[in-house]
Amino acid sequence: LIAMKLIVLLMIVSLSRVSAEGFGQGITIHEKSASIPAILHNIEKQSKYNFFYEKADFPTSLKITVHFDHVPVETVLDECFKNQPVTYRIFQQTIVIKKSVAPKPEDIVSSPDTTITVVGLVQDEKGRGLPGVSVTVKNSKYSVNTDINGRYHIPAPTNGILIFTFVGMQKQEVAIAGKTTINITLNLATEELGDVVVIGYGTQKRRDINGAISSVKAIDIATIPQPSVDQLLQGKAAGLSITQNSGAPGSNTSVRVRGVTSLSGTNEPLYVIDGVPISGDANNSSTSGRSPLQTAAGYTYTQSSVSPLAMINPNDIESIDVLKDASATAIYGNRASNGVIIITTKRGKNGNAKINYNGYAGQQQVSKYIHMMDLKQYARLQDVMSDIFGVGRRPDLADSSLLGAGTDWQRLVLRKALQQSHQLSVSGGKDGMNYYVSGGMLQQDGIVIGSGFKRYSFRSNLDAQVKEWFKLGLTLAGNRTAEDVVQGDNNGIIYNALLQAPDLTAYNADGSYSGPPASDPLSVTGVINPVAQAKQITNHLNRSNLNTNLYNDIRFTRDLTLRSELGGDFNFSDNNLFTPSYTWGRFVNTNASLNERSQQSTYGIWKEYLTYQHTFAGKHILTALAGHEVQQANWRGTQGFRQGFYSNTVQSLNLGQATTATNDEYKGSQSQESFYARVIYNYSNRYSFTATIRKDKSSKFAPEHQIGYFPAFAASWKLSDEAFMQNIKTVADNIKIRLGYGQVGNQEIPNYLYGSPLNASVTGLGTGFLLNQIANPNLKWQTSIQYNAGLDFSLFNRRVDATVDVYKKTSRNFLFQLPLPAYLVGDFTYLGGINPPYVNLGRVENQGIDITLNTHNIVSEKVKWNTSIIFSHYNNTVKELGTGLDELIGKVTNGFLDVAATRTVVGGPIGEFYGYRVKGLFKTDDQLSNAPQQFNRPVGNNSAGTWLGDVQYQDLDNNKVIDAKDRVALGSPNPKFTYGITNNFTFGDFDLSIFLYGSYGAKILNLLDRTLGGLAGPYQNQYASVAGYWTPTNPNTDIPAPKVGTDNPNIFVSDRFIHSGSYLRIQNINLGWNVPARWLHRAKIGGLKIYSSVQNLHTFTSYNGYDPEIGASNQSAILTNIDNGRYPLARTITVGMNVQL
Amino acid sequence: CKKDFFNRPPADTLTLDNFYQTTDQVQAGTNALYNSPWFDWNNKASWSIAEMMGGNARTYSPDVINFSNFSVTGDNIQLSAAWNALYSVVAQSNGVINNLPTHVAKTIPAAVVNNALGEAHFMRAVAYFYLVRTWGNVPIITNSLDYVNNYQVNTNPVTDIYKFILNDLQFAEANCTAMIRNGSKTQGHVSSGSASAFLAKVYLYMRDYANARTEAEKVINSGEFKLYGVDIAGKTYADLFKTANNNNEESVAALQWQGGSAYGHGNSQQAFFAFTSQITGTGDGYGSVAGSIDLTSSYEAGDLRRKPTLMYPGDVYPEIDQAHGGFTVPSNAISQGTSALLKKYVVGTPADNGGLGAAFSTGVNTYLMRYAEVLLIEAEAVLAGKASTTDPAALGPVNKVRQRAGLSPLTTVTQDNIMHERRIELAMECDYWFDLGRLDGFNVTSHPKAIAIIDNQERGIYSTTTPVVVWSQKYNISDANFLLPYPTTESTLNPKLLQAPVPYHF
Repeated sequence: LIAMKLIVLLMIVSLSRVSAEGFGQGITIHEKSASIPAILHNIEKQSKYNFFYEKADFPTSLKITVHFDHVPVETVLDECFKNQPVTYRIFQQTIVIKKSVAPKPEDIVSSPDTTITVVGLVQDEKGRGLPGVSVTVKNSKYSVNTDINGRYHIPAPTNGILIFTFVGMQKQEVAIAGKTTINITLNLATEELGDVVVIGYGTQKRRDINGAISSVKAIDIATIPQPSVDQLLQGKAAGLSITQNSGAPGSNTSVRVRGVTSLSGTNEPLYVIDGVPISGDANNSSTSGRSPLQTAAGYTYTQSSVSPLAMINPNDIESIDVLKDASATAIYGNRASNGVIIITTKRGKNGNAKINYNGYAGQQQVSKYIHMMDLKQYARLQDVMSDIFGVGRRPDLADSSLLGAGTDWQRLVLRKALQQSHQLSVSGGKDGMNYYVSGGMLQQDGIVIGSGFKRYSFRSNLDAQVKEWFKLGLTLAGNRTAEDVVQGDNNGIIYNALLQAPDLTAYNADGSYSGPPASDPLSVTGVINPVAQAKQITNHLNRSNLNTNLYNDIRFTRDLTLRSELGGDFNFSDNNLFTPSYTWGRFVNTNASLNERSQQSTYGIWKEYLTYQHTFAGKHILTALAGHEVQQANWRGTQGFRQGFYSNTVQSLNLGQATTATNDEYKGSQSQESFYARVIYNYSNRYSFTATIRKDKSSKFAPEHQIGYFPAFAASWKLSDEAFMQNIKTVADNIKIRLGYGQVGNQEIPNYLYGSPLNASVTGLGTGFLLNQIANPNLKWQTSIQYNAGLDFSLFNRRVDATVDVYKKTSRNFLFQLPLPAYLVGDFTYLGGINPPYVNLGRVENQGIDITLNTHNIVSEKVKWNTSIIFSHYNNTVKELGTGLDELIGKVTNGFLDVAATRTVVGGPIGEFYGYRVKGLFKTDDQLSNAPQQFNRPVGNNSAGTWLGDVQYQDLDNNKVIDAKDRVALGSPNPKFTYGITNNFTFGDFDLSIFLYGSYGAKILNLLDRTLGGLAGPYQNQYASVAGYWTPTNPNTDIPAPKVGTDNPNIFVSDRFIHSGSYLRIQNINLGWNVPARWLHRAKIGGLKIYSSVQNLHTFTSYNGYDPEIGASNQSAILTNIDNGRYPLARTITVGMNVQL
Repeated sequence: CKKDFFNRPPADTLTLDNFYQTTDQVQAGTNALYNSPWFDWNNKASWSIAEMMGGNARTYSPDVINFSNFSVTGDNIQLSAAWNALYSVVAQSNGVINNLPTHVAKTIPAAVVNNALGEAHFMRAVAYFYLVRTWGNVPIITNSLDYVNNYQVNTNPVTDIYKFILNDLQFAEANCTAMIRNGSKTQGHVSSGSASAFLAKVYLYMRDYANARTEAEKVINSGEFKLYGVDIAGKTYADLFKTANNNNEESVAALQWQGGSAYGHGNSQQAFFAFTSQITGTGDGYGSVAGSIDLTSSYEAGDLRRKPTLMYPGDVYPEIDQAHGGFTVPSNAISQGTSALLKKYVVGTPADNGGLGAAFSTGVNTYLMRYAEVLLIEAEAVLAGKASTTDPAALGPVNKVRQRAGLSPLTTVTQDNIMHERRIELAMECDYWFDLGRLDGFNVTSHPKAIAIIDNQERGIYSTTTPVVVWSQKYNISDANFLLPYPTTESTLNPKLLQAPVPYHF
């Protein structure tokens, strides 16, 4: 993967024709009689450069003196090497130094077998001659070096093989086959290039890390038209399971790093954006407990949370590093139990300023429609409904020959929608001052009418080398989003569009919105006009975010640095929900209402940490870190409500009736202080050991339980560098074994759970007070313990690179809100109930394996083909719950009923589906009279009885009665594995990327099957597929007969509604053309790439809903993969352009 | 960092540690027991159970239709709502009972503390009274903290629950302040007389007629409550259900809603009862439920209670939609297949109610008991199970209630007379189903009389055809239908609910 990424990265760089010589970091160096390695080390310290060279090339006796201030690195190197027989080349941040030996006549040794002299040119990928490349005739001692221009000539046998080697480049072998001229291009040996990984409070080279860390670079996600970075990570990093919980623009995504660890808290990772930690929890459950977005009264279990990451412009991101195992995350201690994702944004580099435009525009389309009954089928069903409801049939539907196809509501609420993104950035650096400034705009209209998302983002990243010993920098990002949100899920737009009757039209003859007729009492089961609902009931959310980090580095000695950081994250949001006055059939609102919320949160962090790095005796490399930090978060919000508006157009509280006004406030704060230390010891680049300890003190707990300690250890052994492994290097290389162990914590719970708040409550007697919470003064830290074993290796001269990690992650004493029965705590707290206590309870285990495989299938000069495969598997098991807690139920509202959809029991996965198993339909009187009685319903042809055509359930507990005890596990919402396969092809100036993403083995509970296939009420459209329901004349079917009421056993949750959630999606296809530099030169354009991409092209699945990627309801672990009318994902076709000046 | 840095108590709520420090705080400490914990009971569950199962009301509304056809399962959302709400009342009452004595400042007068404790006992008793009548055996919980670590408790038998209710009401009777009701809005809290009235009703259910009579007469003789329109001139039965008359002299105990407040704090019944949003002016008004043929045909001719209970086409209600000169029920008005639309607890637009009101949020109190019922209890206690009586002690109270209804006085009283009077007087006040449940005796498992009544109830509708016929719906029910199933989520968490009850240790 790394290799692939770097190659693609280099392609872009070469495209941009920014010469590597232009780089420089403003080196300031004053050394007297120092060795060249010491000078190089100094440069490494103060810049981002890494050097590759043979120590033997610089005898220790060689001492030189240099004095420079703020000069390009080349100036220093030229001075160092002016009398030395070496050359150097700069690749990105890596400088390779090689002995330069001009070919001397005596090097060309005559050989008796020589028949020809081969000449040629060796170039790098940018077409520049490479001096000092070693050219050897295979199986001989004949060897020459290329000259300063990269040319060589060597005597060789006509059928011989030439081997080209150069430090930092991939070795190449070329058969001579009689040719006398052989020109070749050497590619970067990427593994050697010391890819840098951010490990938290520091960086390490990829080859040195001991933990399990996946990295994604900007280039991997650059041309995927997804607005949010969490969505972009899907299928790009092993160990991450990512699902988009809704297709609505700006909605939340579930990111699960190595499974699910918490039942009632968040399972989202901690994001660290340029040093500022931000929770991925869209519900803010550990702070305000509120999503910035409100939902209309009465809508529960609907997606109401919005993505905190939608605020960030992905184009500004340089790299993403995913810290997966506890040995890697332990440095983040108490907030690390769900993994840590470190996002580093782009920064300026010394050299010529670059102006970069990156933009795309395209169209989102609906990728699937669900086949509903047409008007004729619907009319027949209404007759049956009238019969079973005991009323006369509707005369307007009597003559089916007069009926057409009816209204296709899906096509009325779904549309083609625009998506576009534009970003302009300027970056560069001069005299020790680097800058990156960008501005971006994104617009994503929703494919459901009435929904849309806009983002304006600005970023300014500055770094200044003020003094040789003092550097400071500022990251400052401002973002503004505007969202129009439509009601989703249960009773939402999609749900209602599917359910709406086809005999209704969206508009009445006079142009007003229609609805189920008020004149017919049966229409009480009809649903609101979804077109009107989407367009007229407006829910608008504006969010503003300021994310900033100010840092400075003070270098006390060459080895010892103090870094200070002051970071902040500030969020301000406004949410207006306006319900106009309307008359839409039987749905009438004479009194418009407005609910306005204004919310703000501030977060601040102050860090101080010392880093010491020293190499003892050339072999013992020690990196030590010690730090201290303090964090504080504050939040507050107010809400105002009025109704009785005389106009629907101007929406302000001022215009409502003052007597109807209500208001509300919430506020709170939390704090934390931490100390941490880390030691990384490396011996001879073969053995490495990391130890980390962190101590956190948090306001979340009662004073005696506030402190937690989180230790971690990791070790690695680079097996392939051992002498005894030298023989297999040609087959397998870079073999490293890693082992890690660590403990991390979790505190993502609400405040003051150790006490008993008395909530003020409005009553007719004045303000009242309700006990809000059963206190648990003994509440303490949750601990997640994780073991990790990893293996890195490459095969066949790095044509294949692989990383495999296996892990076991156990959450002990996890923080969990006890699901006490209602007879102890009553109703929801807003309805006067008491919150059950949070407890430290039980044990949940996740075991899994992450595999990353990168292969270079074709590596020729003109054609390249790389493949990257990501594979993630985990097995989630609840090992222990509290005593007496047998199962935890996950409930969803479907229609107007609470449906117990999932349970969590010891030995099973979190949130498995459960319900009844269907035996078949009652088709004979015999079956009716002999079968166990179901749900106390005697045999009888009425709505309260069991009759022919009803579903017969299996008596799984064999007690001759069908009741709630016959429910069993019906499958897990967790996939057995997920995978991403990316194929990148390059043909000259064209590149093609094909990205497949798949998920295998998960189950889906489609609650729409209840609503859309339940045949339980009039005025509701149904699946076309259930038109063949049971009747005495149609006995050979498995579709039950219509039945009155949604609380009828035919539509209880059973295996009828469970579907396979396996799918393979063509997630993205991207074709790019790098316009040749020679065409751009005259226009002074540095580089131009034009690309076209298709996102979500096709999904191979057997699922009957819109899309098998369901995700979780508001990120809830126990309500995952339940389809309740989810906003579908769009297929997006875009054309984009990347211009660099 | 200093210790204070880590001390982050809530910034937007009080806590137990800083409450109950003033008399005002102690008095306000019980306000919420009259409000949101009852919301989900009042919202839909109470009338779904008592009126739809009782046969007074009918619906097509899919979420509650199963109550009217006796096919409610443990998964029904309103079944859970009833259970959850009643136990919310229990839990919050327990909160006051357990926390007030330990946290209250020493300076607070004992009478203030005792009155608050009395109110909490009263509310707990009323909640258990609904629980035991709906489900039979249920667990008695006096402190949730006792069961946090082991919440799988057994149910307690019906007789123990009644005993527990009596204990609580007797505590309330002894500790609540006595008062004489003067119709002032501040008299929303229950009094010792409220407790006596409920004691009378509970004794009546237990067929302890002597005690029922004693308690009823205690209330009647105290003069605390008065019958609107008889004892209080110039008022009518209809006036009882106006927001302006909340906490009137007839109100024995009532839930105290705040009109226009957030969901959960106002009375939401109008949203489902009002048959059109023209009545509510707040977008709701779904007409989810309407009067049954069986109820409408039960009214005696000239009963003045019909119009304040049910709207018929052509009726005029000047107090509703006053801005447009009052509300006239359209001639084609129909809801749930009948033209008997609900009026009781339908109070009109916010403007009709002093500007207070919102969707799902009117300010009209929900009666837990009215003085009229105390009079009917007295009559039934005097009758004491006999076939009939001409005892003036029974005739007097019944006829006082009939007098207000504009009906001629009875000369003898039978149990059927009283049942009929209760049904009509208390229609849509969530009582009839429970009356049917006690018809065959206290804590019986066989209900022949009640089943006979229900089997004959016409629960269908009038046809839309000409000539109009009855599209009949009748249900043959069994003794098992008299108790509802436990919510499935509860019996799943605690399978012991399904086991035989165990005696409660008093």
